[in-house]
Amino acid sequence: MNGDLTMSISRREFTRIGCRVIIGAAAGTAIIESIVKNSLASEDKKGEYDWNEHYWGFVVDTTKCIGCGRCANACKLENHVPFDEHLYRTWVERYRVLKKEEVKIDSPNGGIDGFTNDIPKEDIKKAFYVPKLCNHCDHPPCVQVCPVGATYLTEDGVVLIDYDYCIGCRYCIQGCPYGARYFLAEETPHHKPHSVLGGGVADKCTWCYHRITKGLLPACVQACPAGARIFGDLKDPDSAVNKILDKERINVLKPDLGTRPKAYYIGLDREVR
Amino acid sequence: MQPHIKRAFTLLAIAIIVFIVIRSLVVPDSFGQYGWYRGDSVVDNRNFPVEYAGSASCGEENCHKTLYSIWEDSRHKTVNCETCHGPSEKHVSNVRIMPQPANESRDFCGLCHFRQTARPEDFSQIDPETHGQNLRCAYCHNPHKPWFV
Repeated sequence: MNGDLTMSISRREFTRIGCRVIIGAAAGTAIIESIVKNSLASEDKKGEYDWNEHYWGFVVDTTKCIGCGRCANACKLENHVPFDEHLYRTWVERYRVLKKEEVKIDSPNGGIDGFTNDIPKEDIKKAFYVPKLCNHCDHPPCVQVCPVGATYLTEDGVVLIDYDYCIGCRYCIQGCPYGARYFLAEETPHHKPHSVLGGGVADKCTWCYHRITKGLLPACVQACPAGARIFGDLKDPDSAVNKILDKERINVLKPDLGTRPKAYYIGLDREVR
Repeated sequence: MQPHIKRAFTLLAIAIIVFIVIRSLVVPDSFGQYGWYRGDSVVDNRNFPVEYAGSASCGEENCHKTLYSIWEDSRHKTVNCETCHGPSEKHVSNVRIMPQPANESRDFCGLCHFRQTARPEDFSQIDPETHGQNLRCAYCHNPHKPWFV
């Protein structure tokens, strides 16, 4: 080895210095990151809404739903979902079990324009409406599959979308077993086409996060004339939702999938999928 | 140190530095603040505009107080103002901006009140073929205080 060009250093010493450098670098970044994160967290707590104090839940009483579709209409107006496309954050399905053991399910325009009596009453064994929306699962498959972290479960139990970060790959739309997500290609006040990819984004119900964090009810709950939609805080024992969960016999959609939905249903029929 | 090992270490060091520099440029500042997502996105979601003001804001400030008190005691008290009159937050913050006029057509009332097999039976429903001779519902019924004739 040429002593003029390189430092003469023993293998032991090289390892020792190398280890110190690596440990030092790792510890340094960890300390700096923790300081930055703590300052960010303490800044956030100054806002009046503290998401650690809430955990939102939703109850749908299918026995009360009259199928007027005002929820789906109000949702589109509140969240600027285009009316000329078949995109719904919430929609009303009609189930009709016929006497010949056949089940007819329909949801024309999400129920916004109402339903038509195209099957005579004599042929129907039973019929009912089932409003659907995002279940805001505690184990959301849509969040698991997002490759860029553009959808997430918040501390207050709502699954949200980052409209600026979504690349529009549609994987979450495939991943949702409830069909609650859709692809939004148009520009709305909530999002602009992605600057890099130019395409649309995934979209879905947010339980009107911009309303509930201001102490308002979601638009669909407020619009429902029959009281079929109940929204509240699961952490508050006196909330409207907890009063029902404590008393009524409730179920969730597709419980076998282990998604742990937080949209609970009263009067859910076995035919409802 | 042998030169080929030195070269390998130099390359590795450069690769690590380049990775750290690109990562710090590409990853948004608030990414990872609360979890594997952009923390600022929560604020974005919270700041979307509110369109539905709620019925209480209609009865406030003497604006529609009389109508509000009639509606409050009626059988239609479960139907909020904006369910028929449309989103009115802009009108509440600026009275010059008028909301869409309420839909007075027979079919609009029928969304709730035309007989449907799937509807709960105890809910007030009429048969549009036999009831009302195709008149507008508001011809006989006051939508703010409905009654039975």
